[in-house]
Amino acid sequence: MEREQHEGRRSVMSRRTFLRSLVVAGSAAVVAACGGNTAPEGGPAASAPGTAGGGGPVTIEWLNRYHTPVTQTLLPEIVSAFEAENPDIKVRYENPGSGEGYTEQILTRVAGGNPPDVATLFEPPVEFATRGALMELDTYMASATLATPDAFYPAPFRSCQWQGKTYGLPSSAGATAIFTNPAMLSARGISTSREGFPRTWDELKALDKEFIVIEGGEVKQAGFVPFIGSSWAYPVWSAINGGQIYDAANNQYTIDSDQNVEWVDYWLRWLDDNYGGDLEAMTIAANWASNYSDSAFYQGKAAMTFEGSWSCTDAEIPFEWEVVHLPVGPSGSTSYTAFYPNWWVVPNGSKQPEAAFRFIEFISTTGWTIWYRTIMDTPAWKQFPPTVITEKLVATIGEERAASVNAFFADYLNSAAEMWTSPVDTFASEQVSLAVEKVLRKQQSPREALAEAQQLAQAKLNEVLA
Amino acid sequence: MATTVTRKPAQARPWLSKQLRNDLRAYAFISPWLLSLVVFTGYPMLATIYFSLTDYTIVQPPQWVGLENYQRMFTADPQFWPAVWNTTFYAVISVPLSLVVALGLALLLNQNVRGVGIYRTIYYLPTMVPAVAGALLWTVILDPQNGLLNSMLESVGLPGPGWLKSAEWSKPALILMALWAGTGSAMLIFLAGLKDIPQTLYEAATIDGASSWQRLMRITLPLLTPTIFFNLIMGIIASFQVFGQILASAGSGGTVGPLNSLLMYMVLLYRSAFRSFEMGYASALALVLFVFLVLLTMLVVRSSRHWVYYEGEHPG
Repeated sequence: MEREQHEGRRSVMSRRTFLRSLVVAGSAAVVAACGGNTAPEGGPAASAPGTAGGGGPVTIEWLNRYHTPVTQTLLPEIVSAFEAENPDIKVRYENPGSGEGYTEQILTRVAGGNPPDVATLFEPPVEFATRGALMELDTYMASATLATPDAFYPAPFRSCQWQGKTYGLPSSAGATAIFTNPAMLSARGISTSREGFPRTWDELKALDKEFIVIEGGEVKQAGFVPFIGSSWAYPVWSAINGGQIYDAANNQYTIDSDQNVEWVDYWLRWLDDNYGGDLEAMTIAANWASNYSDSAFYQGKAAMTFEGSWSCTDAEIPFEWEVVHLPVGPSGSTSYTAFYPNWWVVPNGSKQPEAAFRFIEFISTTGWTIWYRTIMDTPAWKQFPPTVITEKLVATIGEERAASVNAFFADYLNSAAEMWTSPVDTFASEQVSLAVEKVLRKQQSPREALAEAQQLAQAKLNEVLA
Repeated sequence: MATTVTRKPAQARPWLSKQLRNDLRAYAFISPWLLSLVVFTGYPMLATIYFSLTDYTIVQPPQWVGLENYQRMFTADPQFWPAVWNTTFYAVISVPLSLVVALGLALLLNQNVRGVGIYRTIYYLPTMVPAVAGALLWTVILDPQNGLLNSMLESVGLPGPGWLKSAEWSKPALILMALWAGTGSAMLIFLAGLKDIPQTLYEAATIDGASSWQRLMRITLPLLTPTIFFNLIMGIIASFQVFGQILASAGSGGTVGPLNSLLMYMVLLYRSAFRSFEMGYASALALVLFVFLVLLTMLVVRSSRHWVYYEGEHPG
């Protein structure tokens, strides 16, 4: 009996001890999980910025966003080249999988005090910078040899700036153009040269009409359909009509300006005059945007289309093609190109900002040659050697034409539209996109729809600026 | 008469009663789960309440704004009510439809026919396909020009709609996708419910001359109401949280489907949080959805007294 009691008591004590231990262990685990960052494996988190901690090279962590197979072969090459040039810096990166949740990762890591040293963005850095997520790079740029402010094309560089301060570097600035099918043009006796291409929207609209085939109410063939697809590039349509979507210098949206109302109204009349006015029927009939394999252009059902330089190699267009400038609208005087950069940034709280800057300087300048040889994403660095041409482009269209196309896009970037400069760029783009769609689907007049988008975008901007 | 009082030797009473010791032992075993519930669910839920009353961009500390996010949601956000409408439309159509289809399939697969196991597997397989992969597959199937579905409709002389490219047809297209992906699991639960109905009831009814229809209406459906009830609750919750398929099929940039016709509540929430960096507003959206779902669930639970029957329970 006594033994039983004793054992019983011992067993009670044992459980209490067990429970107490469990609570302590659990609390420790929670504290550890919620605690501050620790140095990454092999990383010199404790070492001073830009110095080799413990005499060895510093390791920077790059939050990589590229996940396609071709980029997976390029990334090690670029990193090796950088490390060879900078033996005091090692770059560590991982394959991000599908890339979903990337933004969340950056923001939460910055908030948690454990940011990567470098991140690649496919969204404008200004949106992150105005929320305090990015480091200002001007101090580093002041002593840089390659990545100086005037070394980049002006508009792509301004897409990294907010109120005069720089928060990233653009490695690429994929420029855009109208792609033409010269065979379709010449079959109708129309000039196929860049110089002979329409200079105004009126001329382009008339040229479009030459190719339109409608059977049984369905559009079977088109010339050029500007109003379907690539809504991200709307700032360029505003620019070539003498307008702008956002005035960065004055923190002011100008979505419902007269030029923009005129632009959207012009598209509405284009849809009505040339295609019978039914946007949905047109959308269903074919993919009039782009030049990839599912598009009408690729399939020879559209003579022209709007796309980016990257498609010169990515789309593998199965016939000879040409690129031409965008014609200007009734109120415009200059042709501009839209561009879509890949931005490189140093998140706030980076432990190795100097080394991180050296890496993004490399990738935005000389290092981009490795990338550009394989992927035709127009460099944003003006001093990029013109002799470096995407190998696939040369193989597809020959050296001479490849050089010409290459020079065309590089030169066009000198006249790039102002875009990606707003702290609420994504939200505002969605509003403009919706407004244009409402107009083309006859739900609102251009002025009403754009005024609504203007009011929403400006209100959102004011909220962020407040 | 002398009374002998035998005094038992004083025993040290355990500090904790046996019941409490047993309880504590049980809690000790489930403590890892409890801990994670508190840390990874409880705390975020409480934090959501707090964040919903702030202006919070994740990177910068939250700024207290009181009920401003809620006020904005109901009175100033032009996307809120369209998102509520789109989601409600989707839920009202997809939930009953999914229940009917799943029940129909379960009734068919409950028959003693050859290869029934293979059929069950086939119907359940779509549930295993990740939402994004399924959505991409359906984007191809629903392509108005070259898609399989419109080709089939065309072959029988029916005009194929624009599906995801049409403002009118995009939501029905999404419902179709959800039906394909979500019916399998509900079907399996119905099947388990059907197996649970005693055969003796059917035998007795058959002897009494009940037809198949009568057996279905008087035995199967009443005894399946607890399963219907469960599937209904799960379906309602899932339908108001539809998200992955839309992101994959309508893209994350620009409008969500033609004229924002696929802008569902969760998509608005996601965009607010991770595209506009408005974590405070997104928290308010999340909380409103949570409260709405709790109320709706309570309503369904309350209504269940009138239409859910448990075996052995005598109504009234």
